Amino acid sequence: MKRYLTALTLAVAMLTTPVLAEGEHGLTVTAPDPVNVSRSAGLAAWDRLHEVFVHPRCANCHVDAEGVPMWTGPSYGAPGPHGMAIVAGESRIGAETLPCQTCHVTSTQPNTVAHAAPHTGMEWQLAPVEFQWVGKSPQDICAQVRDPDRNGGRDGAGLVEHILHDAAETGFITWGFNPGGGREPAPGDLQSHLDDTIAWVAAGMPCPEDGQ
Amino acid sequence: MKLTVNGQAHEVDVEDDMPLLWLLRDELGVTGVKYGCGIAQCGACTVHVDGMAVRSCQVPAAAVDGAEVTTIEGLGTPDALHAVQAAWIDQQVAQCGYCQSGQIMQAADLLDRIPDPTDEEIDRAMSGNLCRCGTYPRIRAAVKLAATKLQEA
Repeated sequence: MKRYLTALTLAVAMLTTPVLAEGEHGLTVTAPDPVNVSRSAGLAAWDRLHEVFVHPRCANCHVDAEGVPMWTGPSYGAPGPHGMAIVAGESRIGAETLPCQTCHVTSTQPNTVAHAAPHTGMEWQLAPVEFQWVGKSPQDICAQVRDPDRNGGRDGAGLVEHILHDAAETGFITWGFNPGGGREPAPGDLQSHLDDTIAWVAAGMPCPEDGQ
Repeated sequence: MKLTVNGQAHEVDVEDDMPLLWLLRDELGVTGVKYGCGIAQCGACTVHVDGMAVRSCQVPAAAVDGAEVTTIEGLGTPDALHAVQAAWIDQQVAQCGYCQSGQIMQAADLLDRIPDPTDEEIDRAMSGNLCRCGTYPRIRAAVKLAATKLQEA
């Protein structure tokens, strides 16, 4: 526990340096209250994180190696395969046949038009297949998120930085909480998602089925 | 902002969020590109930006400052058709013709990236371009013919 707190304190100190100055990402990075850094508090934070991860707004692009994105829109009902027989391929960006960016442009402008192809400040793409969430159990997803071999080489501090970087770029995490165009957002908001991530990391990234 | 359309330089004064589609049609009078749905669901507005097919209804003007845009008017000329345009005529693809400018621009992009596409690759690349007349078998035949001609050239 102590080493996680030390690492996180260092990370928070680093993140408030000009590398990503506050205001660029618009979020408040708050070191956790040591009193609240218990396993149970960490698991409670994980439950909220998991609720976000499996919400269709986020999970729709965390699909298996087939590379068929899911979509859920104001009128599409439950999540289903993306229309137009879209396959993002092994590249996960559609490079093999039809690049995602053909329709999903890269822009930080707000998404205001219902049913239009949504956009973010990052190039549209599927998450890496190692980060598949659709069809995965909560324990699978939890183990995956804390595994640097599958999460893009990130430790706890790296996961926090991932959110801040996304916010600074108006990326996919940021968009998930404010998708616009009448789309249902992921539960909560970006600040609470960051707070939950910090709390979960500070608690040692516990997963529900870990041994006590 | 400045951009090049079909080889011709232009300077335009438009809002940053004006769709490229409107910039082309209303500001520059380039009307080969068509409005179908306005939400990237049909492909009728497909043009090339810096060599890549995109739905011009989704591209904000701010994103094409300094870009090279090619529309159906700039793909080939009546005297020197692009291979896809020639194949379209050869196979008599068009019925009503409304979608064909977008279809041809998407097909040209496909053949730039995949010179000899399989039927599956053609279907995957072209499935975002809708044809309400249902000319899909002729579209696929024309793409295959164009691929053959381009490889012979």
